[in-house]
Amino acid sequence: MTGASLSDMMRKKAKGGNSMNILITGGSSQLAQAIASELKADHSVRLMDSVPVDVAEGCDFIQGDILDPDDSWAAVRGIDLLIHTGEPPTNLPSDELKREQTLLDLATRGTHVLFSAAVKAGIKKLICAGTLSIFNGYSDDVYITELWKPLPSPEIVEMTKYLGELTAREFARDHLVTVTGLRLGELVLEEAVQGDTPNLAWLDIRDAAGAFRCVLNRDNSNSAEWTQRWAVYHICADIPNPKFLIDQARGIGYQPAHNFQNLFLKTTG
Amino acid sequence: MRKVLVLGASGNIAPYVTPDLEKDYDLYLSDIVPHPDGKPIINVDITSYPEVLEVCRGMDAIINFAVLRDDPVISFEVSTKGAYHVMKAAAELGIKKVVHTGPQLVRNAYDHEFGISDPPLAPGVGYYGITKYLSMEICEIFSRTYDIQTVCFLFNGLGSKPTEAAQGDFPPFTVVWEDLQHACRLALEIESVPGNFQSFNLLSYFAQGKYEVEKAKQMLGFTPMGGLEDYFRRTTD
Repeated sequence: MTGASLSDMMRKKAKGGNSMNILITGGSSQLAQAIASELKADHSVRLMDSVPVDVAEGCDFIQGDILDPDDSWAAVRGIDLLIHTGEPPTNLPSDELKREQTLLDLATRGTHVLFSAAVKAGIKKLICAGTLSIFNGYSDDVYITELWKPLPSPEIVEMTKYLGELTAREFARDHLVTVTGLRLGELVLEEAVQGDTPNLAWLDIRDAAGAFRCVLNRDNSNSAEWTQRWAVYHICADIPNPKFLIDQARGIGYQPAHNFQNLFLKTTG
Repeated sequence: MRKVLVLGASGNIAPYVTPDLEKDYDLYLSDIVPHPDGKPIINVDITSYPEVLEVCRGMDAIINFAVLRDDPVISFEVSTKGAYHVMKAAAELGIKKVVHTGPQLVRNAYDHEFGISDPPLAPGVGYYGITKYLSMEICEIFSRTYDIQTVCFLFNGLGSKPTEAAQGDFPPFTVVWEDLQHACRLALEIESVPGNFQSFNLLSYFAQGKYEVEKAKQMLGFTPMGGLEDYFRRTTD
């Protein structure tokens, strides 16, 4: 463990009334680090990954593999809220088959091991990241909401993110915990895609991080209905004539700031 | 005769089904353990993609009975990753028919209801249920993408048909071997199913009015032998 120690985290929690100890998996990923930057001022943040990660000032890091029950147990102890980004480590095998098998392992068994440890540790709020690419099978002339049936392809990242979401969802069915799925659009930085052809699923990574903040306090853990303990939200930029409608996310306070306006205005103009 | 690969051929189900199917299909039995009746077995570890790919070459159809229920690691390896290997091989080799199997995933959620035909699946997080549920999703994804016709049978109890009168109620959600053989034939013969993937609850006893097989009847033409409840009648003289 580097950076802030667990006792530091607990002291920080004692200072702020709403401050939580938050574990973020996939710590080496841009997404995890953006979420940590978004939350660290108000919460004690611990990143986890199977590879070493230089974490931002004020964050904690624990190295471990979510597939290892002992590593997952060590990571979730003292944690109030789990954010499972589903982002793979940077050291995936170069062999294509081994890479596919590793991604499948991480998304299915890894999510199961991690969430089992979290439930055992008494964590009530669990958030998992999915992807809007599971709707790429629909043509662009429909409006996609959370009511539509996902049609993931066998492309390994897309398929395994979907399988990870399904695994996470089942914990809300069987346990008195709140599980929230955030299906994220294609992660980019607005300034990095200037001049590119606009994508209906674009999502600035800073807005993605903000979406996680929106669901931190969602807690239906004591609901008798599992369908209340589980919820899923679609998260992408707020663009003109959108394919992915984000009304449900707006309802929980999601307000993206990076909406690629100049690019979409050029297209629609 | 069409060549049909049977994975998990030495397990708890296949040995009761394949003797009937081998009359009309050229069966290739594979497993990692010997067959209980001493039949020749092709040694194939379903967790190894190269082994699965090799044994699938030249096949017209695949029946996947492989399962490992309650181990926290091997259940995912066999049931989930194994299914991934089977569907990946089918896609790569152009095999257009797969028969998949798994546990019923409805009793936890609906056992207090009646007239239950085809409700949404409710797997939960137990190793057997979740690993097979994920395998079904994998099958559906590959079937939709590669035009593979996949029929999935979901079981609770399996066993022989009764041969003499019994005292007491009949077993719930249980299919007899003869009905399963019939269902497997239908699955191998049907040209296509809606969406390329369909799952079917299979059972042979219906008098309780609880679980039904209407979907299997309508889509596959499944006609369970019926009348089995007659073995479970109390005397009234």
